[in-house]
Amino acid sequence: MREYDLETLRQLKRGELPFEKVHEMQSSHKDRDRFLKMLAIAQESVPWNDRILLPYAEHLYVVEKPDKSRVVKCDCGYEFGDVKQNWKLSALVYVRDTKEKINEIYPDKMGCDPDWMHIREYICPGCGVLLETEAVPPGYPIVFDFQPDIDTFYEKWLNQPLSK
Amino acid sequence: MTNKNTIQPRILAIDAGGTMTDTILVNEEGQFVVGKAQSNPEDESIAFINSLRDGLNYWNLTLEDAVPALASSIYSGTAMLNRLLERKGRKLGLIVTAGFEDYLRMERGIQTYLGYSYSDRLHLVTHRHNEPLVPRERIFGVRGRIDLFGSEQIPLYENEVREAVHKLIDMNVEGICVNLLHSYVNPEHEKRVKNIAQEIIRQRGADTLLFISSELYPVSQDFARLNTVLVEAYAADPSRDQFKRINRKMRELGANHELRVMASHGGTISTEAKELARTLVSGPIGGVVGAQYLAKELGFENVVCTDIGGTSFDLALITGGQFTIKTQPDIARFMLKLPLIEIDSVGAGTGSFVRLTPSSKRIEIGPDSAGYRIGVSNPVSGLSTVTINDCNVVLGYLNPDNFLGGDVKLDKERAYNAIKEQIADPLGLDVYEAAEGIISLFEDHLRNEVISRVLGKGYAPENYRLISYGGGGPVHVAGYTAGLNFEDILVPSWAAGFSAYGCACADYEYRSDKTVQAQIANLEDNITPFAETINSAWRELKDRVIEEFAKSGVKPDQVEFRHLLRVQYVGQLNDVEILFPGDEIKTAGDVQIIIDRFEEAYAKMYSRSARSPELGYLVTTAIITGVTESEKPKLPTEPLGPATPDTKYQETRLVYYKGNWEQANVYQMDHLRPGNTVYGFTIIESPNTTFVVPKGYKAYLDAHRIFHLSPE
Ligand SMILES: [Zn+2]
Repeated sequence: MREYDLETLRQLKRGELPFEKVHEMQSSHKDRDRFLKMLAIAQESVPWNDRILLPYAEHLYVVEKPDKSRVVKCDCGYEFGDVKQNWKLSALVYVRDTKEKINEIYPDKMGCDPDWMHIREYICPGCGVLLETEAVPPGYPIVFDFQPDIDTFYEKWLNQPLSK
Repeated sequence: MTNKNTIQPRILAIDAGGTMTDTILVNEEGQFVVGKAQSNPEDESIAFINSLRDGLNYWNLTLEDAVPALASSIYSGTAMLNRLLERKGRKLGLIVTAGFEDYLRMERGIQTYLGYSYSDRLHLVTHRHNEPLVPRERIFGVRGRIDLFGSEQIPLYENEVREAVHKLIDMNVEGICVNLLHSYVNPEHEKRVKNIAQEIIRQRGADTLLFISSELYPVSQDFARLNTVLVEAYAADPSRDQFKRINRKMRELGANHELRVMASHGGTISTEAKELARTLVSGPIGGVVGAQYLAKELGFENVVCTDIGGTSFDLALITGGQFTIKTQPDIARFMLKLPLIEIDSVGAGTGSFVRLTPSSKRIEIGPDSAGYRIGVSNPVSGLSTVTINDCNVVLGYLNPDNFLGGDVKLDKERAYNAIKEQIADPLGLDVYEAAEGIISLFEDHLRNEVISRVLGKGYAPENYRLISYGGGGPVHVAGYTAGLNFEDILVPSWAAGFSAYGCACADYEYRSDKTVQAQIANLEDNITPFAETINSAWRELKDRVIEEFAKSGVKPDQVEFRHLLRVQYVGQLNDVEILFPGDEIKTAGDVQIIIDRFEEAYAKMYSRSARSPELGYLVTTAIITGVTESEKPKLPTEPLGPATPDTKYQETRLVYYKGNWEQANVYQMDHLRPGNTVYGFTIIESPNTTFVVPKGYKAYLDAHRIFHLSPE
């Protein structure tokens, strides 16, 4: 079993490891406590103090508030509300639904046909970072990417049940 | 080692690794010593001289005494490969056919996972593009087109060539490589590019080097050809300066021969040779060449070569006295087009790590390894994961106080604790039981590799002898050959240095390949175009070989030429190399010989029923090899002594074998005399290897100091 120290994992997260090292890590079994280490690294990288329960998406975390509620929070500090609600409903959204808007990011004729597909970009109201992109048919409901069962995960996988 | 100062060294083999430079000196009687020194990549000649001096110390000889007596010196090293791996080669420019400028960025899919384990090949997330040897901004496309038949379809746009050369010189490139489509059929456009480039280089007073694909590697498959030309210019050619320095040092010390380099086709070539890229890998080749030489000297034809080092298990077959050559090897994640001895390498060596899979608690060996750091039992290794070596130490097979002649002291208890904690306890096993289980899993794995390679080629172990060498081979040879009825199992007493010894056994040999694509359906056809295509290729290749030998002052009448072809059925993909017994195709009878030899080789390799003469035959490649006399080590021959070893040298220790503790006899290899037979359980130790003869086996030491292992 390989064990990686926090500094190596920090470098992994920042994309600073040489590929050979990353490859070695990809190809071997994970350290037993990798999740907790990555959680610690995430916790030290954010400017706020709410406890991170789960990295949720690029820039997003599920955190535990002092009242034990669980909310989705951007690393800038913006809160999207209860984890059981789709955070995208509280995000800014930019829909590329015309040829002009699609051509801003694709060369002509290399992008999608707006009659068939839209590109929806979800942006953090707090810091303006692009959080997620959906490519869906026009009128398609907003996709709810991920509904984690955090309690079961902590209890059965990590063997560390969360106090409620 | 003993004082042999009356016997002069004759052959010198240099193995320049990244950390250590070894020199192997062989004397007239076939005895040899190994010198070692710290490598010095800046000036390899310094490390070489230090290492040579160290080796000569064993024979109480000085450099000035010994060097003039040498008959040949053979170099193999890792400098070129390291230059390639570390991307520290020349600054190059590249001219390709317009439209192909993104060759190196797109490469071939296979290059994104070459050398990976099977599971990683399936895991796309691990695949990755190579950093191009030439960045995109120094790659220029020029218009013009030669088709696959060699006819010009679009003339060369010479103005674009001029522009490209000027720009590349402006960028201060050290060399320009040229690789145009189908240049192996018709090199006219490449020649034209060369002339234009030479003219501009002269006008501008630059000293830019030129590497033209049709001159260096006139072979099909433009991407592999491009890679080969680039590797030549980027990593191989820069070594010439180092070779010159070593040669100069040797001359100063009174040598009257020139240094030769071990090449991938199994021969040695001059340091002035055109195609230096084929000296890029020489490590595992030496052993196969040595085994071939041994087979020839001892009068047998079929050998399975097995080499276990710290990181890998290398396997090669010699059949009918010949090893097989593959023409599209991959090296350092590049698909190349050059002849390389076919050696299969499995990532399982004595330094391989042993772990349990967290989910299923299955024992996993490798694919990564501790290599030269040995294992947890080596206290200075800094390692914490169990290796095969650790198991061998715990089971008593390796002597912790006599590893590498005592240079490294191993700690049995560290190994014991690591196995207990990482393997035995989680599995609920006794430590010795666990260690033996690991070793038998390891040996089963190797045995499967051996048997599948032999059976896969349509042969049976009964027709082969097996040679075991490398530091780890003799420890495990009984295990990985168990139940396979090889005709004989040979363990040379110099097993650890066998690869270097093999380099000294190599012929002074050039080999030149050219793609021809000559097709023939049957003998009723007009054979003239077929014959002429091949004959003219052979003539061209023979001139190349003559030219190469001329650089070392070897005249054509001193060279033995062989004419070879690679043939396949039309429409199939695998060509087979055959020897043509003459030097020219003159009659339909000659064509019949080619067909017969191909059919015979094909039937052996695949199966008789797979033969498909109705498809017709395609000669893909014409090949010429030229060999000239060179001195080779003699096999040591000593008078036979008594059948029983002198017991005064015998020691004992306990070893764990098949679930029991056994009393093993222990001998130092030097103390055994030719004629001696030892019975298992016996362990024979030498500074660089340990030979394990388990219960139920015996080993006979012959007059050439080669052990023969057999069931009792
Ligand atoms: Zn934000």
